[in-house]
This record gives sequence, structure tokens and C-alpha cells, in this order.
Amino acid sequence: MEMTVGNKGYMTWIALAVVVSSVTAFTGGYYTGAITTDGDSILLVDDYGRTIKLDSIPERIVSTAPTPTEMLFAVGAGDLVVGVDTYSDYPAEVANITKVGDYTLSTEVIISLQPDLIISSDLVPISQLELLEDQGIPFVILATRTLDDVLKDLRLVGILTGHVDEANELVDELEDRIEAVTSKTQAVDLVKPRAYLEYYPYWTYGPGSFGDDLIALAGGINIAENTSSEYPMLTSEFVIAQDPEIIVYTVGYMTTTTADEISSRPGWDVITAVSEGDIHSMDDNLLSRYGPRIVDGLEDLAALLHPDLFA
Amino acid sequence: MALESGQSDVEPAKGSRFAFFRRNPLLFIVLLFLFLLVSTFLAVLVGTLGPIGPGEPEKISLSDAMYAILKLDGDYPAYYTAVFWDVRIPRVLLAGLVGAALACAGTAMQAIFRNPMADPFIIGVSSGAAVGAVSAGLIGLTTVVGAFTAPMLAFVSALVTVLVVYKMGTVRGKVYVDTLLLSGVAIAAFLGAIVSFLIFFARDDYHQLIPWLLGSFAVAKWSYVWILVLPVCFGVCLVFLFGRELNALLLGEETAHNLGADPEFLKKLMLTTAALVTAGAVAFTGIIGFVGLIVPHMMRILVGADHRALVPASILFGASFLIWADAISRTIIPGQELPVGIITALCGGPFFLYLLRRSRTSGSMS
Amino acid sequence: MRIDVSDLSFSFGVSRVLKNVSFTVGDGEFLGLMGPNGSGKTTLLRCLTRYLPADPKAVFVDMKPLHTLSDRQLATTFAVVPQSSSTDFPFTVREIVTMGRIPHAHSRILGSRAGDARLVSAAMVASGCDFLADRHFSELSGGERQRVVIARALAQEPKALLLDEPTVYLDISGQLEIMDLVKKLNKERSLTIVAVLHDINLAARYCDRIALLHQGRLEAIGPPSDVLTPETIQSVYGVDVAVRKDPFTHGIYVMPRSITTSARKNGARVHVLCGGGSGGPILRQLVEHGFSLSSGVLNVLDSDYECAVDLHIPVVAEVPFSQISDETNRGNLSMIDDSRAVVVSRFPVGPGNFKNLEAARYALDNGKKVFVISGLDLPSVDFIGGRADACLRGLINAGAVEVSSVDELTRQLGVELEALK
Repeated sequence: MEMTVGNKGYMTWIALAVVVSSVTAFTGGYYTGAITTDGDSILLVDDYGRTIKLDSIPERIVSTAPTPTEMLFAVGAGDLVVGVDTYSDYPAEVANITKVGDYTLSTEVIISLQPDLIISSDLVPISQLELLEDQGIPFVILATRTLDDVLKDLRLVGILTGHVDEANELVDELEDRIEAVTSKTQAVDLVKPRAYLEYYPYWTYGPGSFGDDLIALAGGINIAENTSSEYPMLTSEFVIAQDPEIIVYTVGYMTTTTADEISSRPGWDVITAVSEGDIHSMDDNLLSRYGPRIVDGLEDLAALLHPDLFA
Repeated sequence: MALESGQSDVEPAKGSRFAFFRRNPLLFIVLLFLFLLVSTFLAVLVGTLGPIGPGEPEKISLSDAMYAILKLDGDYPAYYTAVFWDVRIPRVLLAGLVGAALACAGTAMQAIFRNPMADPFIIGVSSGAAVGAVSAGLIGLTTVVGAFTAPMLAFVSALVTVLVVYKMGTVRGKVYVDTLLLSGVAIAAFLGAIVSFLIFFARDDYHQLIPWLLGSFAVAKWSYVWILVLPVCFGVCLVFLFGRELNALLLGEETAHNLGADPEFLKKLMLTTAALVTAGAVAFTGIIGFVGLIVPHMMRILVGADHRALVPASILFGASFLIWADAISRTIIPGQELPVGIITALCGGPFFLYLLRRSRTSGSMS
Repeated sequence: MRIDVSDLSFSFGVSRVLKNVSFTVGDGEFLGLMGPNGSGKTTLLRCLTRYLPADPKAVFVDMKPLHTLSDRQLATTFAVVPQSSSTDFPFTVREIVTMGRIPHAHSRILGSRAGDARLVSAAMVASGCDFLADRHFSELSGGERQRVVIARALAQEPKALLLDEPTVYLDISGQLEIMDLVKKLNKERSLTIVAVLHDINLAARYCDRIALLHQGRLEAIGPPSDVLTPETIQSVYGVDVAVRKDPFTHGIYVMPRSITTSARKNGARVHVLCGGGSGGPILRQLVEHGFSLSSGVLNVLDSDYECAVDLHIPVVAEVPFSQISDETNRGNLSMIDDSRAVVVSRFPVGPGNFKNLEAARYALDNGKKVFVISGLDLPSVDFIGGRADACLRGLINAGAVEVSSVDELTRQLGVELEALK
């Protein structure tokens, strides 16, 4: 389960993006973030609104969260990765890479790896990253929170690692796949089912969250789209009242839920999805790792919501 | 420090196996001081990279470590100096300072409340600091204003909480410790609910707070050490200097008064000192439980209740204890860190029970 | 050291606990502070130690106003021994006694002064607790703890010792040991003593003077024999007492007498003359059968006395091991006057209690029904050479009824009292 960061720094980021991107020519118009390159040196503003200056393209990168790890490998920069956090487990090659901790980083191991860049997510306490910055190791924070962010961050990672072409190719391919889904799911006359997407018993994705974004793109109506929180815990009667037509639960290493458990919840037998047996599971990693695999998640979710369209 | 050596030709304390230290507190304190020095040095050698530790992904040899620590020229990678001087040494020193502060504050609180179950957090320091730290995370101040915001806010809100609890426990300038105790418990419960409430709404920022809420020295740096060193030294010295009066206070406020120790002054001084050093310690490293409660207990079993020996013993052992707990927390699982609070409870609990059993079965001690 | 208390008043909020108390304690004097619960004794003591803020012009030590002393000077002037001391912390006796040196400490950093250890040991020897030095305070008995606390008080090198009911939680031997110790310190060191005491006889025995407080006022002050009169005790404590010369100490001995004066509940009262354990079975059975009883004259330590007190029977009592005095005898006779019948048990008769047999004769002569428990054929309990037996025979001849058992006595008394109705 990955969480996103409210709006902090985001407005700053957008403002800077508007200004800086207008003077950005080199990146070929693909990357829409704030980045300039001058020879080998790179100047960028990350998702926390921090300005980072790199003198050259990094050669030794530590990734401290699964999402940047997957992005680095996806753009073909996996050979630059010298350290990853303990949660990174995709692709399989990361198993052989030095582990540098989890929420608490092993500062001395990172120093010993002598990286020239740390790419982190907003999950890692920033105070520890600042400790490493004091050692002359810069860090970039990716606060990926929408499908568009995934594409943007992939391009950013491509630029940071000197794999611009691979990144652009990948993003083009992903955009095509997304288009293939949305062209069908965003049709005006499509009947959109009410969907309940559960990542932990009674916990779901609310407005502004990645899951909410994916349900909408996959052609469904999120029953929690009007709740007050990004990751709300719903009451049983709220779910019954919303009467979802399809229930999707995620399967990951923390999962205890099964379709039988969901249908046996008291009073849930009146829910359409339960009475019609429309309860499905999805790999949690496809919804919580905001790397390229998120498009797999979108495709899977769309196929579950509209089996007739994606037969 | 002229402590009673207790030379006497009569029977030693009936059956107490620890009577030797009680009779020679000065020797015990010197031993504890040496233990602290050795602990500090050894703990600097402990880490994922070694020389003491898993040695992953590479192992620093002992001689390279010594060269790097002494900043001598040698044939070792330059980053070794950073590993020792920027990561481990400030971390070990911070752990020592926090350990000394918590153990000393715990000793003072137990004396003020005349209750061996009191701890440094008893008057709301931890819950107050937690509200400050969580608020800082929630409103995103950490990223905007800088790394010192959360500690500052935690420190200030801890002191405000203590002040409120203190006001509740004070009637016409007189401190009533039982009311103080109850107010502390009530306000801690209230603030605990607020913290949970804030965390509920700060769900994504919660990750930023995990190390603080569990207590961790992972963020240690020299600036924290420099900020803490003077207040902690001043605080522990103050508690030590009033050791005799604290002894008297344990027999009741009237007895303390009759022995020439002003109980009201003493209570206020000790509460202020303990609150300041505790708030300062937890502001940087988060809430580390057990040390302030258990260390004074252990030392009381070993060296007795006399604060002139107990306070220095608790300070020295509290520092060593937390240094070792931190050393274990950062090496026991290779590549990962266990919150130090888990270690303090896991190691401290059984050791304390062992001491308690030994002293009880030998037929003495309360 | 001389203590002057002049016009001392103290209030907790609106309730005035001390009202215009004035007295002087002379150097080396042993003053007892007495009075019923709530009379202000402890408050007075706390005003002396400044634990309670008294009027600064009300207390003087050696002519100096109390408030001019620093906390430490105060702690070297007065040392206080409270009712009891306890702690949850494992202090040794030596550590507790060493606390007495706190007001003498010169420096916080250097800790104790050179002579401290010696003074502490000397204090423990003086109060007889040196053999406990390395024991834990919390595992001592109440009496041992009080000795330790007295040692701590001595370690303070005070000019006066203030004690607040130091023996209240101790058994009788502990009480005497502690009071003997305090008296010894008073005599040998000319240590001025002010002690709140609750036991009148203990106070009478040890104090040079007694100050009697009542509802915050100083009711009387002076030597025990002047202060502890039946009249003052009646007015202060509301208890009827007899004051006697103690046969052993030649001090005075105060003894509570009948607290309930009349107990005529169900009809006429029966007065039982008994002693030496002979009356117990009679008293018990008669009470069980609903008779209203009184008894006399019994010595305080007699088992019949205990029995009568247990049964809440009004009893005319006499000081232990003493002859029946004329005054007590008059009490006995007046009890007989109030009774319908008198029972004479077969009690051992000696010169001390022969008056009880004379009282039986008095009853007979005054028209009371007298019952004598028979048993003249049993081994003699006459310790005055036949005079007792002769007196008993005289009673029977003059009309006293002889009954052979307690059952028969009960039956006959029942008939007798029924007839009187």
C-alpha cells in the first residue's frame, strides 16, 4: 500500500513547472516537469519543490522505495542501481542488490555504496535523507500520485539516468496501452458499474487516490468517490447502501481476505456483487507500485469491470 | 564525591548478594564510568559495515576502523571517516546523552512522586511531544521550514503539556503529587487520543513520523548532540547535587522539611529539570520507553536507594544501556533497523526481572 | 533550649485550630502535649517546626523569632520524630540516620563532612539501633523504626526534640522502651523535649510538665499531678477517671471508671460482688438471661474486671494490686443502693478486698435481697484467717439466701425480681 502526499509542495511544483518548462527545449517536449540540462549538468525541481543540481549524469543510484526501483529498471537503468530498500522486489534482479533499510535507512551502508544520487519516495522520512545530503549525496523525491505522474516520473528517471530514449519509448507504449483501454471505457454510452475496491477489510481508495483514478479510467464508479479521505475506512452499512455491482480485493503479502469471507460478511448477501458472485481478486503490487506495472493494473481492472469489452 | 563507604564491623545487609556494591558505591560508580567509556568505544565499532556487525555489503577491518576513527592517514576509503565521524559517533553520543537524560529524569520523578513506578513521562512529556511532532508532520512544516521544526514543536508542546499538568496539580503554590500524578495520566490519555486522531487524518504523512513515534537514533547528527549536551549535563548535575534532599523527600514532605530540605522548592526544581531534559531528549529521538523506569530500579537494587550514589549510577548506566540498545537495534537484522524501544524493553525487562528475583530470593530489598 | 509560644493562633481556612496559645518550655524540660483528638496538638507541633506557617511573632526559640531562622538552622534547632515512618525505597538504617546530617552539610559537591560517619554511628549507639545499621529500614518492626528515627533526630544535633505520638503504633513494651530512651536523652543530654502523647499514664510517668489542649485552647499546664485531676480530665475528655498514686513509680496513675453510669434497662439491677475469676460465669449467665447488672469492686487487671468490661457491665474498679480505697468503696455502696439484689460470688478474700464482704452486709442491712454462692465446704479461699468465712456465715444467718449453683441463682433471682414487679 503506497500513500500519497496531500498537496504540499504540489502547487509550488506546478508553478515552477509552468515557468521552467517554458524555457525547456532539450527534452524534446516529452517531460513536462521542471528540468534543465546544460552539458552534463542537470537542474531539476522534485515533487517536494526542492531544487536539485547534478553536475553529471549519475552513475551510482540508490533507490529507497519500490516505485523508483521499478521505474529505474523499466527505463533500462537497472545497472546503475547499487542499493535498494528492503521492500523493492521487482524485477527479480533487485534480489542481488545491496539492501539499505526500509523506513529507517542504514545511513552507513548508503555512504559505503558511494552513490551519486538517491531516488526516494515520500514514504521515507526526509530527515534521514537530509542526513545523507549533508554527506554530499543528493536526493530526488518522487511523489507519484496519478497515472499521469507515472508517465512524467518515468521520463524524469530517463533524463536523470541518461536513458531518455528508452523512457520515451516506454511512455509512448504505455500511453498506447492506456489509450486502448480508455477509448473503450470512456465511451459516452457505456454503462459504468459501481465498484468497491478493497485493499484491506473495509479500507478502500477515496477521492484523489490512485485507486480512485484507476477505477474511473477503467470505466467504473468508485462507491467511495465522495468520501472525505484519500484512504477511508468504510462502514459495513455504507457499502451495503452503495450496493456495489462488483467487488475487487487485492492480494498481497498482508492479505487475509477471500471472496468467501467478503460474501459471508453480515448483511452483505443483499449486495448485488455478492448475490451475483461478482467478487474478484487482483495482485496488490499492480495497484500499489506506481511504476509501469500500474498499466497492467489498469488493464486487469478494466477487464474485470467490463469483461465483454476486453474478452 | 565523598560517599559513605559504610565501613562497619557488623553484619552486612541481611543476605543481599549485592551488598558489596552498596558498601562501596564509589567503586561501583567508577566501574560504571569505565563501562560507559568502553561501551562508547565499542559501540562506535558496531554497525552494518563492521568491524563488529554483519559486514554487509563489505566489512571494515579493525585496523582501518582505528585509522579512520583517529583520522590518521591510511590506505582506506575516504568514506570510512564519514561512516565513523558523521554517522556512528554522533549517533552513539546522542544515544548516551538521551539515556543519561531519561535515566536521570526517571530517578528524579520517582523521588518526587515517592513512587518507584514513576517514569520521566509521567507528567505528560511524551504525549505532549507526540502532539507537537505529529502536528509538525501533519501541516507539512518539516519540509517547508526545515529539519528542526518537528523537534522544536515537540519540545515546546511537551513543555506546555507539563505546565498544564503542573498547574492542575498545584493549589496555592503547593504541589500535590497525587493530583499531579492523576492529572498527568488524564492529560496523557487525552493527548494520546488527539495523536491518534491526527494520525488518522495524516495517514500518508504518518510514514514520516514512524521513526519518531517508535523512537530512533537514525536521524542523529552532530547538531543534535551539540544542542543537547549542555542542557543534559546541567540537568543531571543538578539532580545529583540535590541527591541528599531527594533522599529526605522519599520519607515524606514533612520529614524533608524537618531535615532542612524545602520540599516545595525541591519538587519544583526537580520537575522543571526532569521535564526540560526529557522534552529535549524526546524532541530529537522520539519516545524511548523503559529506560527512565527500569534503569533507576536496577541501580537501586545494585547500589541502594541513596541518591548520592543512585543518581550518578543511573546516569552512567542509562547512557551505557541506551548505547548498547541502539547498537543492537541497528545490527541485529542485517540491512534493517529495529526500533530501539523494542530493544530496551526486550533486554531491559528480563534483566530487570532477574535482578528483582535475585534480590528478592536473597531475602531483602523492597 | 527555651521555647516561648506567645498568643499563637492558627486556622485552616475558617476553622480555628489553635486559639491564643501561650506557654514556655524551659531548657532541658520534658513537656507533654496532651488533649483529645482534634484539640490541636499536632498543629501546634507543626507551627513550631514551621511546617505550617504560624504568626511569625508567636514563636521564639532562645528569644529569637522563629522566622529569622533559615531552613537549615531550623533543622539544627528542632528534630522531629513522627508517629511512624515508612518508605517504599530500600534505604538502609545507616542511610536513614545519615539523612540527619543534611542540615549540617557544607557543600553539595563534597557531600558529607568528615565527622559525619562518626556522628551517625554515635547516634545509632545512643538510640540502641547500631546493630541494625545495615538492615533495610522497611523490614524493621515499628519499635525498631522509631529508634532509627530517633537516631536520625540525634544526628541532626538538635537543641530540642519534638515527638508526635511516637509510641502510638507500638505495643506496651515498645512504648516503654521508646519513652525510656527519650527520657534518658532528656536527662543525660539536657535535650529539651516536647512530646505529643495520647496515653495519659505514659505522659504522667515521663513528663516534667503537661500542657493540656482542648478545642485549640491551652486548658492547663503544669506538673502532671496538677494538670491530671479528675476534674480537668472530665472536662477535657468527658471521661470519669480516678487518679491514684502509682504504687510502683510513685507518680500518678489515671484510671477510667464507669463510662456508663446507669444501665437499668430491663427492670431492676443486680449488683455482683466478685473477684479473682469467680464472677465471670455468673456475669455471663445473668447477662444471657437478660438481667441488668453492675459489679464491684474489681481490680483493673482482674479477669472478672475484663469480663465485666467485655459484657459492658458498669463496674466499680480499683487500681491494680491495690486495696479498695474509701472512695471506691463509696462508689460500690452507691451502686448497691441502686440495685434490687446483690450476689456474692465465692471470691478469694484478702485484706485488700474484705470491704466487698462488708458491702454485702451493708446491702442486707439496707433491705436488699442478698444471694451467696454456697461452697463453705469447699477448700477455703479465705486469706485473712477465717474472718471471711465467718462473715459469710453471718450473712446467711442474717437472711442472705444460699444458692448451690449459678443455675439455681438465676432461677431464684428470676422469681425474686418477678415478685418485685
